[in-house]
Amino acid sequence: MRSLISTLPRRIGTAVAVALLVAWSLGPIYWSLVTSLTPPLHLLGTPSLWPREITFEHYAKLVGATSVSQGNAVQSVWPQFSAALVNSLVTSGLATVVTVVIAAFGAYAFVRLEFPGRDLLFVAVVATLAIPAYTVMIPLYRLMISLKLIDTYTGITLIYVSAFLPLALWLMRSVYQAMPISLEEAAWLDGAGRIYTLVHIVLPLSAPGLIASAILTFLNAWGQFMVPLVFSPTLATKPLTVLIPEFVTRNYIDFGLMNAAGILAIIPPVLLVLFLNRYLVSGLMAGATK
Amino acid sequence: MATVDIHRLVKRYGTEEVIHGIDLAIRDGEFISLIGASGCGKSTLLRMIAGLEDISGGTISIDGREVNDVAPKNRDIAMVFQNYALYPHLSVADNMGFSLKLRDVPKPEIKRAVAEAAELLGLTPYLERMPKALSGGQRQRVAMGRAIVRKPRVFLFDEPLSNLDAKLRVQMRTEIKALQRRLGTTSIYVTHDQIEAMTMSDRIVILNGGRVEQVGAPLDVYDRPANLFVATFIGSPAMNLIEATVRRDGDRLAADTDDGLRLPLDGYEVAEGTAVTVGVRPEHLTLAEAGTPGALAIAVDLIEPTGHETHVFGRLGRHQVVVAHSGRVTEAGSVFVTIAPGGLHLFDRTSGQRIDTAERS
Repeated sequence: MRSLISTLPRRIGTAVAVALLVAWSLGPIYWSLVTSLTPPLHLLGTPSLWPREITFEHYAKLVGATSVSQGNAVQSVWPQFSAALVNSLVTSGLATVVTVVIAAFGAYAFVRLEFPGRDLLFVAVVATLAIPAYTVMIPLYRLMISLKLIDTYTGITLIYVSAFLPLALWLMRSVYQAMPISLEEAAWLDGAGRIYTLVHIVLPLSAPGLIASAILTFLNAWGQFMVPLVFSPTLATKPLTVLIPEFVTRNYIDFGLMNAAGILAIIPPVLLVLFLNRYLVSGLMAGATK
Repeated sequence: MATVDIHRLVKRYGTEEVIHGIDLAIRDGEFISLIGASGCGKSTLLRMIAGLEDISGGTISIDGREVNDVAPKNRDIAMVFQNYALYPHLSVADNMGFSLKLRDVPKPEIKRAVAEAAELLGLTPYLERMPKALSGGQRQRVAMGRAIVRKPRVFLFDEPLSNLDAKLRVQMRTEIKALQRRLGTTSIYVTHDQIEAMTMSDRIVILNGGRVEQVGAPLDVYDRPANLFVATFIGSPAMNLIEATVRRDGDRLAADTDDGLRLPLDGYEVAEGTAVTVGVRPEHLTLAEAGTPGALAIAVDLIEPTGHETHVFGRLGRHQVVVAHSGRVTEAGSVFVTIAPGGLHLFDRTSGQRIDTAERS
């Protein structure tokens, strides 16, 4: 009885904390979903927690050929939306692949190779995380103009890689540091070279770290707004994050459309995390030593 | 199979020298153990032979060819690590065949070699298992299998048994020795366990602070330790040491302690007045009846039965001594002992070096 009295408040506390946390993170998504399913007229009335009437007209406007808006047949935004979706996928995907590959090899060098100034160089790379993006925006813009990389996949990818590489390097470095060096030594004595050992022994065992880096980089790139706002002026590279706010026009804010687009934009990162999560298993090193 | 020659080998970390010019010639097919307390440089020495540590000075040659600048993978050496270092994402068969695959050996041949090694080690039923599904002893065998499968010129063992429980350790000790006999491959074995070193080796190398204290066959080292370090390091319980000064009594030499004990030094030629340390192994102190000529009285502090023998801890004058008696000992306040013939070792206390009897030196 006593234990019940002492644990009950604690359990209630935990439950409340969890509920708050869930509401905090899922609340906005739920609100967005509700908005995307509410007819435009209702959106202007008293807000309600669930739609009194469900409509798919916002989604139709996004993906259909034409749709009805405020009684008029209008051109759908599918061409813009699909282009931006592809841009988002390409830039985030490229940034993820390039970042993870460089981090996988670079971090290994920072851990296992000995060269003068190694640790200083690493600290310098990681220290760039502390520099706010807007302080380098103007010089970066000048640089990109002179390199003719404005509004190109290469340009955007390069900027993303330079921004997200330090974190991935840091993460991979700690993954390698935790790995017993005897495994690599065993491989060298077995006749493997450095690169072979890295690719065939170290990387397979670092899969959880690589996947965590990939997820972090992809989510970061997917959610980028500032960089593409400046460097992706046209639909050649403009991603969803920049396109969606443009549904705000001079005389009408299309809340329904924005939220429908937002809900669709959540799907790719969610799928990616669900897919990669399966490989984020622990205990990969079991059986290596002792 | 190969010889390994180590000449004036030095290892420095920055300015700190940890190995001070070691010389060692290892014969073809020999099983040699490096033994010493932790930090004595035995593992560093092994890793230098493997090529995993740089050589700061001197040379290492395998089969007469200097390998100082040869990469580990080109030295044709196999090493069994203390923590086994099995590749956790590869099956037992792939772990064992890894080195052959790297050498572009055809698949059927790898399969045959792995099967042969597995047969030798009793691993045949486990070939498809992953390392995590094996027990400690089995993992140890896989690590061995990985080493023997490619028939290297030299085996290196870095305390391979220290992670096993006592019973398994004894079993694997025998297995490794038998395997080495069968394959005849030159083997260098690092351990801190003197029983392992004594039982397995053709010769043992006792290291202390980055220097070689003595090299020799296990029993030679045991019977004739070169200095005080080896005398106390090898043997359990450790050798009893009694500090004394050489005195001449007529035409006979004796070692006198400052608490009035006199030990005759027959056959020695030592200058009178030399400060010496007399060493007697616990099993060379024989229990005797009171009144036996030359018997020494020991005040008993503690009697420790181990089953096959009994350790009697006590004081000989003011020196702590241990007597190992092969039978049972009943509780007593004091016992008398005599020193077995040839059971006395004499060391120069200043230099710590062994002093031999006149006919031996």
